[in-house]
Amino acid sequence: MLMYCLSAASVGIQSFCLHVVTFTGFEVTVFRMSSEQPLIHMQRLMLRYPTGKTALSGLTLDIEQGQFVYLVGESGAGKSSLLKMLYGGVRPSSGLLVTQQIDMRDASESRIRDIRRRTGIIFQDHKLLFSRCVFENVALPLRVQGWKTERLIPRVRKVLQYVGLEDRLWSYPEALSGGEQQRVAIARAMTANPAVILADEPTGNLDVETARSVLDYLMDLNKQGTTVIMATHDLHLLKSHPGRVVQLHAGSLAGDYSEY
Amino acid sequence: MIPDKINPRLPGGFNLPPFGVHQILALIIVCISLWAVGTLWLGMQAASQWVGSWQDDIHIHVYIDGEKSDITKSLEQELASIAQVSSVRRISQEEAARWMQEWLTGGGLEQHELVKRLPVTFELSLTDEKSEFLFADIRDTARRFGAQINEDEVNLAQVHDLLSQVSYLAWFASLILAIAMALIISNTLRMTLLARADEIHLMRLLGAKEWFVRTPFILEGMLLGAGAGVLAWLLLWPVVLGVGGWMATMQVDLNAWVLLLPLLFGGGIVGTLGAVIATARVVSRETSV
Ligand SMILES: Nc1ncnc2c1ncn2[C@@H]1O[C@H](COP(=O)(O)OP(=O)(O)OP(=O)(O)O)[C@@H](O)[C@H]1O
Ligand SMILES: [Mg+2]
Repeated sequence: MLMYCLSAASVGIQSFCLHVVTFTGFEVTVFRMSSEQPLIHMQRLMLRYPTGKTALSGLTLDIEQGQFVYLVGESGAGKSSLLKMLYGGVRPSSGLLVTQQIDMRDASESRIRDIRRRTGIIFQDHKLLFSRCVFENVALPLRVQGWKTERLIPRVRKVLQYVGLEDRLWSYPEALSGGEQQRVAIARAMTANPAVILADEPTGNLDVETARSVLDYLMDLNKQGTTVIMATHDLHLLKSHPGRVVQLHAGSLAGDYSEY
Repeated sequence: MIPDKINPRLPGGFNLPPFGVHQILALIIVCISLWAVGTLWLGMQAASQWVGSWQDDIHIHVYIDGEKSDITKSLEQELASIAQVSSVRRISQEEAARWMQEWLTGGGLEQHELVKRLPVTFELSLTDEKSEFLFADIRDTARRFGAQINEDEVNLAQVHDLLSQVSYLAWFASLILAIAMALIISNTLRMTLLARADEIHLMRLLGAKEWFVRTPFILEGMLLGAGAGVLAWLLLWPVVLGVGGWMATMQVDLNAWVLLLPLLFGGGIVGTLGAVIATARVVSRETSV
């Protein structure tokens, strides 16, 4: 009986501490969070690929709505694997992963679809369709959700205006520079107005200046309330664009710094 | 707002994928196959009309030696009692001889000689030559009296049997060709699907419903098949017009119109089938992020 109380108390303290961290670590947006549940909740999360490779293990982590999270760690640490799990690209092997109130381990295909529609993804290789113009690329997330072409145009225009590419609406991606392509990828990730943006090394092959400007956009979106989770190797960006840093090492959590 | 020269072609939904050289090739191949099927059925149509035109007035002849008149009498009665025999006419040797002499004009045959050698002939009119045991019955009856049945006429009367066997073959050939066409269309669509694998994968990552991803390809398959069907039907007209005169001499009036809907829908179904086969294998494979 006594043991039970003690352990219950310690759990209480733990979650209390966690909240303190997040409260101090993040501004007013946290207060807007009505429910107790964090946006993303992981508990002893484990991912083993069919090849037998354990990419992630024992991951316990909460991400609140409105946070800006950097995922760092050496190559092969499991950053991409974690992001992939967050949009249902792979299912957890064991443990708990709840994203936007949906348990990803046994979520149905249609639940996964719902999550993907509320998630903007920026891929490391940006996955732009080179046979389609910028407009079509950026409009795709909305098209997938059934928007009519006439309704798409103003929205796409606005989003491209945001990343400063409104004059390239009808260009093809191959006519754009790497940085511009990355901005198109950001525009595509934000068209559907997602609650979360997952970015896998969006600054991967950009020079420092362009990388900074990409980060500016993501930070700005974050200020407007979007949760951003970004895997990166560019640690120098943390100085100019601070955020919560989650460090992975060989598939497990190696550090969690609320403010770098 | 959209510049004139640009036509936004967004993937997915009811938007058709672009039509390329592969599709045109598939269209031609499927069109030729459908044309072959159409010609086959036109041939069946002609054959059944032709058979029908002379089958109505077919008669079976039974021959018996004319010496014993009591036997010929009872044979006549027995033959008339067979259910599908509507009437039995006795053709006397004299009539047969006259008829024969007309036929072999100036053969120099002696009428009396001929009459003596000719058998008595019974001409049977039939109500239903499709009846199963009719010819066996007539043959048995004839044998019991030592008479003979004209087997050539029996074979002709039974041509409809042959015709229905041929129509099984025609169905079989159509089915085989349909499967081949479905595979050709599915193969063409697989090439398109492979070329657009990125797009399909991306649409799934963005939360597209399965029908949204697959419908364009199914539609394309259906259109390909139906288009090939209509084209094949149009190509039947030269055939119909070309052999029409010759067919008319055989009292056959070919009707290509009845083949329009079968070819259109047949093509459409075959195309859809091919598309379903092609898209069934487009599984979501997760590559790296
Ligand atoms: N589809 C897969 N099948 C099997 N193993 C995989 C697969 N994807 C990744 N892995 C393995 O999982 C581990 C984690 O890979 P992951 O891509 O998550 O690393 P990462 O942290 O993103 O690395 P990088 O910084 O190089 O992108 C690696 O050892 C990798 O070999
Ligand atoms: Mg990676």
